[in-house]
Amino acid sequence: MSKVMTMREAIADHVADGDFVYIGGYVCRTPFAAVHEMIRQRKKDLTITRGNAADDFDMMIGAGVVKRFYSTFISLGMYGLARCYRRSLEKGIPHKIEVEEYTNLSLPMMLMAGAMGMPFIPVKDMVGTDLLNIKGFLGDGKYKLIDSPFDGAPVLLAPALHPDVGIIHVQQADEDGNAQIWGIGGDCKWGANAAKKVIVSCERIVSREVVGKDPSRTIVPDFKVCAVVEEPFASHPGYTPGFYDIDFGFGYLYQQASNTVEGFEAFLKEWVYDLPDRAAYLQHYIDRFGYAQFRRLQAKFDYGYPVSYEY
Amino acid sequence: MTEHPRDYIKPELMACCGAREIADGDVVVVGTGFPTMSANIAKHTHAPRAVMMQESGVYDARPRRPALSVGDACLNPGAAMIGGLTDVMGMFLQGGWVDVGFLSGSQVDRFGNLNTTCIGPYDRPKNRLPGSGGANPIGALAKRCLIIVQHDPKRLPARVDFITTPGYIDGPGAREKWGLPRGTGPHVIITNKAVLRFDPDTKEAYLASYHPGSTIDEIRAATGWDLRVADDVHETEPPGAEELKTIREVLDPNRMIRIYEGKGYV
Repeated sequence: MSKVMTMREAIADHVADGDFVYIGGYVCRTPFAAVHEMIRQRKKDLTITRGNAADDFDMMIGAGVVKRFYSTFISLGMYGLARCYRRSLEKGIPHKIEVEEYTNLSLPMMLMAGAMGMPFIPVKDMVGTDLLNIKGFLGDGKYKLIDSPFDGAPVLLAPALHPDVGIIHVQQADEDGNAQIWGIGGDCKWGANAAKKVIVSCERIVSREVVGKDPSRTIVPDFKVCAVVEEPFASHPGYTPGFYDIDFGFGYLYQQASNTVEGFEAFLKEWVYDLPDRAAYLQHYIDRFGYAQFRRLQAKFDYGYPVSYEY
Repeated sequence: MTEHPRDYIKPELMACCGAREIADGDVVVVGTGFPTMSANIAKHTHAPRAVMMQESGVYDARPRRPALSVGDACLNPGAAMIGGLTDVMGMFLQGGWVDVGFLSGSQVDRFGNLNTTCIGPYDRPKNRLPGSGGANPIGALAKRCLIIVQHDPKRLPARVDFITTPGYIDGPGAREKWGLPRGTGPHVIITNKAVLRFDPDTKEAYLASYHPGSTIDEIRAATGWDLRVADDVHETEPPGAEELKTIREVLDPNRMIRIYEGKGYV
């Protein structure tokens, strides 16, 4: 049965206020169209996570849709510290979010444990540091330090994570949701599979036959997927291998805008609230920066087999 | 006799200091900027069989432009292997295969602990910083960590405000007590003024060499603890002609390294 729908439908039907949402991406394949739609629909009290968060998480925090954040790291990359995140924690603007801090080893392992049905997972990092001395919304459930039942050595256990919904952007998927990626994975395979259901946005919908040409690229099987949204350029200003490059200029635009509350609000109005969907977003981008600039982002055509990693 | 041109800039010297800590055949986890530059200098000079990986999941990338993040698009085409965080941070780093990791932070203390979490109290931070990311596991699990930081008393305090990433924690025996793997830990602190190394007995960083143009007194005054000085302290060897040629003609013809002048953060 086809699960194809619009992003508005997918977010309205499958993300509820208060949900725990995994959002994939690592500059590579950030599901920005879904992030904008959650902001546009003014979701409330979300708990969000992934390893190495960036501008998309910062935007959600600034827009006030986030209550809790399982964090490892958040910045604007080459554009420095995440402005909205800082305002939230330093000044309570728009409100102070609750943070539970892990690392780029432990958090992906916790998602893997969730995907595998394991109750918790031993990790070798975090010990001996202040990451053990700060506990957020999980309280004493953040970790347990035990002596190994095997050799008595100290072992840190971290809990498995089970998001209510996982949101990932992929290169291609079929109408039922078999989702295929290539290029830098971050933790999206584990995050999506740890979730109770998955929203897949993709650059292109392909047939089941095309999926079968290279089945080892499928990271989420259709039975876990609740919605498939064909959303070209959904990762902008991030990138998708084989389709388009990072938009460094837009990253600077966001940094400058998010320097102040007023600038950030104006950015959200222009790029989220005043636009109905991703198609309008792209049209606005072309109107604002020109078609030539839009074309420059697109990957060089590549005859490489089986897929292109160009940018 | 190695030739040493005089027209180098400080970031080039720091990148070369990093390169010299990498041995042939080392497996190196890099970020962007200095770490990548250092590892590439090593590969082009004395360590052709050193290999690099990025925590995002990339092994042996062949980028056609300098990567501006560890998730950059240019790291994809041409790499030998691409997976995700659990591949590089789990299978390779936690699995014990990584020889060298690079770290930087807003603060680094005398035991090589790093802070990238907050300045001021955690609950009411004066400055909220990004958090650990991959730094904590790299500091915990890489055999040798190379730390790069700007040299001033605020960035090199006796004790960091928050230990995000473990160095030698609170001194001798601490890493062992916490169960961190044997034979891991910080190896060197490279600043814009000096190279500091760690005393094998006290685990405290001491002055090993001062960069040309810096004095021992100036460096001690710019350090937040009573910095001990090695008996064989000497001037840091400036970049050699071959190293500089590699930087300027092969790795960075557009001289992007200039953006690190006056900055310690990588």
